[in-house]
Amino acid sequence: MGEKKKRGFSLTESQLGYLMVLPAIILISVITLWPIAQSFYNSLFDYRLNDPTRNQTTLNYQIDLETYVDNQFYLERDLSSLASSAQGEVQAYLEQLEMDIASHHQELLELDGMAEQYDEVDDMVMMFQPVNDSDLRYARLPNDFAESYTETIEDGRAQIQQFIETTSDEGLEDELTSLGASLLTTDRSLIRPNFIGLTNYGKYLQDDRMWRAMWNTVLFTTVSVFFELVIGLAVALVINRAFFGRGIVRASVLIPWAIPTAVGAMMWRYLYDGQSGVVSHYFAQLGIISDSSVLLSTGSGAMAAIILADVWKTTPYMALLLLAGLQTIPRTLYEAAEVDGANKIQTFIKITLPMLKSAILVALLFRTLDAFRVFDLIYVLTGGGPANRTESISVYAYKVLFAQQNFGEGAVLSVIVFISVAIISTLFIKIIGSDLFESRGGRG
Amino acid sequence: MEKKAGIKFYVFLSLFVFVIMFPFIWVFLTSIKPPIEIFSGFNWFTTNPTFQSYISAFNTRPLHLYMWNSFAVSTLTTVLAISVASLAAYALTRLPIRFKGVILGVVLAAAMFPQIAIISPIYNLITGLGLRNSYLGLVIPYITVSLPLAIWILATFFKKIPYELEESAKLDGATPFQTFRKIIFPLAAPGVFTTAILVFIAAWNEYLFALTINTADRWRTIPVGLSMYESQYTIPWGDITAATVVVTIPIVIIVLLFQRRIVAGLTSGSVKE
Repeated sequence: MGEKKKRGFSLTESQLGYLMVLPAIILISVITLWPIAQSFYNSLFDYRLNDPTRNQTTLNYQIDLETYVDNQFYLERDLSSLASSAQGEVQAYLEQLEMDIASHHQELLELDGMAEQYDEVDDMVMMFQPVNDSDLRYARLPNDFAESYTETIEDGRAQIQQFIETTSDEGLEDELTSLGASLLTTDRSLIRPNFIGLTNYGKYLQDDRMWRAMWNTVLFTTVSVFFELVIGLAVALVINRAFFGRGIVRASVLIPWAIPTAVGAMMWRYLYDGQSGVVSHYFAQLGIISDSSVLLSTGSGAMAAIILADVWKTTPYMALLLLAGLQTIPRTLYEAAEVDGANKIQTFIKITLPMLKSAILVALLFRTLDAFRVFDLIYVLTGGGPANRTESISVYAYKVLFAQQNFGEGAVLSVIVFISVAIISTLFIKIIGSDLFESRGGRG
Repeated sequence: MEKKAGIKFYVFLSLFVFVIMFPFIWVFLTSIKPPIEIFSGFNWFTTNPTFQSYISAFNTRPLHLYMWNSFAVSTLTTVLAISVASLAAYALTRLPIRFKGVILGVVLAAAMFPQIAIISPIYNLITGLGLRNSYLGLVIPYITVSLPLAIWILATFFKKIPYELEESAKLDGATPFQTFRKIIFPLAAPGVFTTAILVFIAAWNEYLFALTINTADRWRTIPVGLSMYESQYTIPWGDITAATVVVTIPIVIIVLLFQRRIVAGLTSGSVKE
């Protein structure tokens, strides 16, 4: 910017403004908005990271040249040696198959630009170099050609399987098995389009585990946010006065909020432990639970345990937000109420609650959204167990995405979380109104 | 509503603070017990305190590396996020640009996006860039995740700075950028600092991205590292409690030093003044 000024050129205020907003907009677009769109897109595909034929999303037929080239030599060798050595029906079929594959292979090489790409990959394969450049490794195939080629290979595999089952010659059977394996490799190098539309959604909307996870999430969210609000409000009302030791109280309530959720979850896992957990031990002695192992080994016990841990971690935060809200209420309002002879409950309902409404709604919005996305707490404390009884929708999505490596189906669950969160936000923002925005931007 | 604080109030307060602090107290008391006592009873105090669990916590896992990784990632995230966010927040509150409402709306909406909904494309992106198991691989998503919060809080602080100062700087011939650097930034420094603490804590605590992107033990951050202490057969509670105490100390220090600022930052977004 300095350089530009020396040349006697200066940006206007608004140009500068756009320039200053730009980095933030770009980052948010690339790391938040684009991935959401991408998740939607991925959810329409049969997309699995751990399956070489489906580890990318594609709308078209493609060929994995590295695998294809590498295998082509063996396939041709096996085919021609078998076609000359076998007899009768088998030989006739294999000769036909050899010709079909050769003509398709020829047609492949005649595709636009394919010969060069093929040679380049061939050179690398000969030198045992991995082909990491995906533009080089994969090439798009025209639909008619690819359909006919895959059909030939599939028929070939089926026919060979049949020969294997009917033949009594062990030598022939071994050779046919080897040929079958080569054909399978070529088959897998021809990548089919894995666009499957809304099939994944259909599957998950009928999936009991998804609905269970959704119910767990809703239950966790409503119960924990309810207790956090009620206890937080009560605490805020009580400590809204001058007292000795404010600093200590403030620091001690901030610490649970400030430590990582995963660390907090680990602590509670120890406290709830069936054998060495002190909370389980005391709860069992007090008769709150029937046995000290109940908290982590039964579904309802584990859900209660998770909610208690969340209430412990977040109520202080809620109390601080509400306390700040309480302190903005002018004292004259309370004095006036006292003069009018209002009792404490009337004062609370007629003055405190209405004046605190916007603080409560904003705190509720952020807490509800946070609770609905719950992941670390449950993942570390129970892992979703026992028997998925505490699995939240985010934990389920994580397991499908990264344990099963199924990015297509996992994306469906991601999208479901996103849509739920969007609905919750919309509802809240409708209630809160647009004053949240008006209080920020603009010179007002 | 200034009420007098009586005995009953202090009893309530002590009880409240005790309940909140109990998990920490118990975890600390466990961490100095000899391992045999941890599994054998529920005595509050041990008669032979020992640092055995602490030594073991550092020896069985690279706890010092986890702490260093968390520190490096959080610091980088804070510096970069605050730079980008303060520019944006200044422009959104002070400069005559259009679509402010839309931009702020998008920023707020981005804050509400569930991370699970963006994790798989980001995982692919970071893998494609070859940034798995590196600091940058975490810093890039962290910056963006903390940007909405940072912009929002900074905008609140920037709005409080009187316009007169800016007007006079303008009259003296300062460019908008000079005004930002020489007038606004020093005045907004407390707000910037508050935001920085919140961004730092958020980055320090993040779990999901750290779990999926940095999978090598060498690159794990504290939350993930700590949750991986258990082995297949036993849960070494001694090591875990000792490690918990070690990693909680930095947080306690930050909270003790900056509690007023943290509260100011937390409440600035929700309470209209």
